Parts: sequence; C-alpha cells; structure tokens
Amino acid sequence: MDRSILEGNPHLVLEGMLIGAWAIGSEQGYIYVRNEYPLAVEHARAAVEHAREFGLLGDRILGSDLCFDVEVARGGGAFVCGESTALMASLEGKVGEPRPKDVHTVEEGLWNKPTTLNNVETWANVPLIIRNGAKWFVGKGTKGSKGTKIFALTGRVKNTGLVEVAMGTPLRTIIFDIGGGPSDGVPIKAVQTGGPSGGCLPVEKFDLPLDFDTLAEAGSMVGSGGMVVMDERTCMVDVAKYFLAFLQDESCGKCVPCRIGIDRMLEIITDITEGRGRPEQLDLLQELAETVRETSLCALGKTAPNPVLSTLHYFRQGYEAHIAQARCPAGVCRALIEYVIDEEQCKGCGSCLRACPRNAISGEKKQPHVIDPNTCERCGICVSECQFGAIVLK
Amino acid sequence: MQPYVTLTIDGATVRASRAKSVLDVAIEYGICIPHLCHLPQMSDLAACRLCIVEHVRNGRSEVTTSCTLRVQDDMVIRTNTEKIRKLRRNIAELLVAEAPNSRAIQDIAVRCGVKQVRYPFRNKNCVLCGRCVRVCTEMWSARAIGFVGRGKDRHVDFPFGVRPDFCKQCGSCVQLCPMTITPCDGPMNPGEERLCGKCEAQLLVTERMPDSCVWCQLGSGFSCARYAS
Repeated sequence: MDRSILEGNPHLVLEGMLIGAWAIGSEQGYIYVRNEYPLAVEHARAAVEHAREFGLLGDRILGSDLCFDVEVARGGGAFVCGESTALMASLEGKVGEPRPKDVHTVEEGLWNKPTTLNNVETWANVPLIIRNGAKWFVGKGTKGSKGTKIFALTGRVKNTGLVEVAMGTPLRTIIFDIGGGPSDGVPIKAVQTGGPSGGCLPVEKFDLPLDFDTLAEAGSMVGSGGMVVMDERTCMVDVAKYFLAFLQDESCGKCVPCRIGIDRMLEIITDITEGRGRPEQLDLLQELAETVRETSLCALGKTAPNPVLSTLHYFRQGYEAHIAQARCPAGVCRALIEYVIDEEQCKGCGSCLRACPRNAISGEKKQPHVIDPNTCERCGICVSECQFGAIVLK
Repeated sequence: MQPYVTLTIDGATVRASRAKSVLDVAIEYGICIPHLCHLPQMSDLAACRLCIVEHVRNGRSEVTTSCTLRVQDDMVIRTNTEKIRKLRRNIAELLVAEAPNSRAIQDIAVRCGVKQVRYPFRNKNCVLCGRCVRVCTEMWSARAIGFVGRGKDRHVDFPFGVRPDFCKQCGSCVQLCPMTITPCDGPMNPGEERLCGKCEAQLLVTERMPDSCVWCQLGSGFSCARYAS
C-alpha cells in the first residue's frame, strides 16, 4: 500500500513531510524507497522535481523562512533496511545493519542528528489531518488506534487488492464482506497479517477488532498491513517454515539470537515437516522462539518468532499430527504425503503418465495406472493433469 | 552536570562516572555479567547478547544488553533474575552448539548454567563476535578485516578475500579470538562434540563464597575485562 501511495499520490507524502519539517525545524528530508519499485522511485523523483519548480521545496518556501528539500534514496533490496537504524545506516552509505537503540534515533539518528522517521502512509495522513482537523481523524478508529488503514488483502479470497478500512473493523468484515469469502469454496482456516514477521490468526479470532493493540495481544501485528488469507489446504507448519526461511535469508546476521536462533528454529521445523520431529522439540521450539523474541538486537529478530509462536499457539494440533502420526493434515509437506490412483476413477488415459517428470507412474492403456511411491517426488503435477480426479492423497 | 551518577545494580547502590556502560560499571564493582563480544576500550557491537540485563523503568522491565546501555541517574538494573538467567542460558546453548571447539565458549556455557545441548552440534570455527574486526579497525586503524555477507553468509574476511598490504600480520585478531583456545581435552573431532562442563565444580565453589568471582580464570587467555586490568 505504501508503494501505491508513492506511485499514485507522492505529493501527499511530500506535503506531509513539509508540514513535519515545519513543525520540527528540519531542513532536509529523505524518501527511502526500494529500488525494486521502479515506478515508485520515478514518481517520487518527479514529484520532488515538480515541487521544486513550483517553489514548494528548496530555500525560503513561498517567501517564508522555511527551507526544506527532499532527496529520494533507493534501497538495495534488504528487508532489514526497513528497521529504523539500519535504514539510516543505509542512507549514510554504510552497511544496512541495525545498531543498538539505547540512544533513540529521535535523539541521534541520521548523521548523528535528531531524526524523525515515519512510514509513507503516516506522512500521507498528515495533510488531511491538518486540513480537516484532528477530530475528523479520530472520528474513526478505536481507543488506541485512530483513523483508517490500508490493508493489502490477498490469498484465497474472491476479491484481492488494497482495502482501506476504519481501524477496529473486525477481520471477518474484511475477509468475508470485502474479500467476498473463500475463492474456491474451501473453508478459510487462518489469516496471516503484518508481513513476513507477523502472525497467523485462526478463524475463531476473526471477530477481533483490527487495531494495533488487539492484534499484538493475539500474537500477530498490523505491521506492513499485509493480509494473507489461507484455507484448509494450507499447512500451518509449512507456512511457519516459509516465513522463517525468508527471515533467515533477510537477517543481517549481526546478533546471535537472530542469526543462530532463526537457523535453529528452521532446523527444527524442517525436521518436523520431513517426519523426523520429536515431541520434545515443540517445547524447545517454544522456548527458543521466546528467547529470540526477548533478546534480539532489532525489530526483525524480535518479531521473527511470530510466525512460529502464533502457529504453535493456535495450530498446535497440526504440529502434533506431523510428529505423532507422521501425517500432514493439509497434504502439503511432501515427505509426509503419498499420492495414490483410485482404480475406479482412473480411465487409463495416460495423461498423468506422460506428465510425470520422474516416470513414477506405470500402467497399460485403458487400465488403471499405479504410482510407485519410491520414485514419486510428490510434485502434484499428475493431480492437476488428471481430468477425472482419480489421483488422491492417501 | 554532575560527573557521577548513582544507580542500583542488583540491589546495590553504586556510583559511576557518566558515559560509562552498565557492563563496565558492574565489572568494576565485582558484579559478574557474562560477555563475549565486549572488549574494554572498544566500541560495542552488542552481537553476542550474553550481557543482557533487566532495566526496570516505570515499573516495567526491559531486556537489553548492558554493554550498550549508558548509566543514568536512578537507574535500576537487575543482572541475575530468573528470566535473565534462562535467556542467557539459551543463548549460551546456541553458541556452544555452534562452536563447541572453543574453551572460551565452553566456559561461558558452564558459567551460564548450560547443562545439556538440545541442538545438533555444528563445529563452526567462528561465532562472529567481531573482536578481531574491532581490534583491527579501532586499535590499529588498519581495517584489514571486516564482516562480509548477510545472514547465514556473514563471515569475517579480508577485502575481496585477499590479504591486503596494510594487514601487517600483527596477530591482534588471533590473540583476541575466542576460538583459538581449544578445550582442555584437546580439539573435538566432528561427530564427537560435547559439552565439556569440567569447570562446573570450580564454579560451584566460587558461587558459594559471597563476593568472589571466578576471576575469569575459567578459560584463561580469553581475558575477561576484569582479569586484564
């Protein structure tokens, strides 16, 4: 959603920054934008140019004493550079690594000067609040979270895209009313909010009002505003594994709990998804996740255990099924599933046989085929090839 | 501004000069906070996270590293609570599972109360404490080694992997490396790694005597800040 604001209305952000600069007496602002969003970079730059042409940026803006200019800085594609101190290190041309925040960036930030860092959406709210008044803004929202928020709704719902709702709107309204419910008729199982380091909330929690405090209490977060809806075909252990792998890749590797801790959590979860899990590993996983959350250097490490802790809390039976019965209830974890051909459904057309990359399927024409479980890689290509729905999970 | 501040560490009221870190002050007063990446007179990386303490503020406690926490007036610090001991033990366990072939790290594990290692051992030869990088950069201004890569690929290396002329092979990096001292029983081969735990008895004796410290002779050569001074 931040990208769409920068692409669609960058002047809103510039105006917000100008008001901020006037309020705190700053003379230099920066827009830090990912280089992977070329259109956002281009539009932000164009907006800055236009503003300069009209005398809205630069020295003595509109004849006043306010001098303020904005520079557009491009990020090199590191997730950790969304962390305030890492972002400032990156702006200064240093390695994008966070530093301890015992001295806050509002005291000593960019170039060791007091710095205020805010999200694109926050700045975009500022001009509207100034124009319409604070009362207008707090008219929507809950006690702790005011105004509206844009969420990026995606996953297994009918309508995906950006949605702007008042803070405190129940998750159910967003997913079932705005999102239109499940896309393929498979019941919805969970929603993952707040980007990679957010948490997963089960259907039972869908009546929770969507605000900062409630989501944090439930073990997730508003975070980036991402909202991935998952249905019964999703394995929550696999989800946790996916996000951990992402975070392990994006961790800067500076501090021990984040670098080694995430690696060990991923090791344990990989064991579980591949059928080597032991019951005592769940307690170890919980303890390790809590240690990483408490002791990591920056917000990336402190929130990295969220996918594990939230799935472990709400979907523990899924983990237990992987360990105790060596079974993946959702049929996702490849090492724990087996495809078989239903003899009655199979017409012996041979389309699965031709599609199989490992030649694991054999059978005569017009005779029921069979899958050799030892050669089968569980890629699922045969399932999508079969027109008769004859290939099923054992 | 007064040059001194008064703060409470583990219930003891101590006076310390401003701008010092909580870790330095605690060591000065004989309160042992285990640490690995901290080096006296050098900047703090806050990478090992062993020196975590509880900083009590407005009735709420916050876990933070003592090496980067500057002393302030009326600060309340707890270094040895149940919560801190548990977190510290878990971090030490991660470290010793990563690099069991170091006496310094084995000793830290003992000091932090690690009784068993629940992860498969890995036998790496670097824990990225950054002692070498900082001595090269800050003490000798040589900048001959630095951190390269991100996340799992992070390692210490020469620029572009080639030893530059300005590395004078002074050996300071080797001297400060916690990995250079092998465990008492000699190096452990891959597959034979274990938690040493030999010094546990020694630790128990000193723990029973109030006001005593292991004086960092566990893992001598690892040079605890107090032992060196």
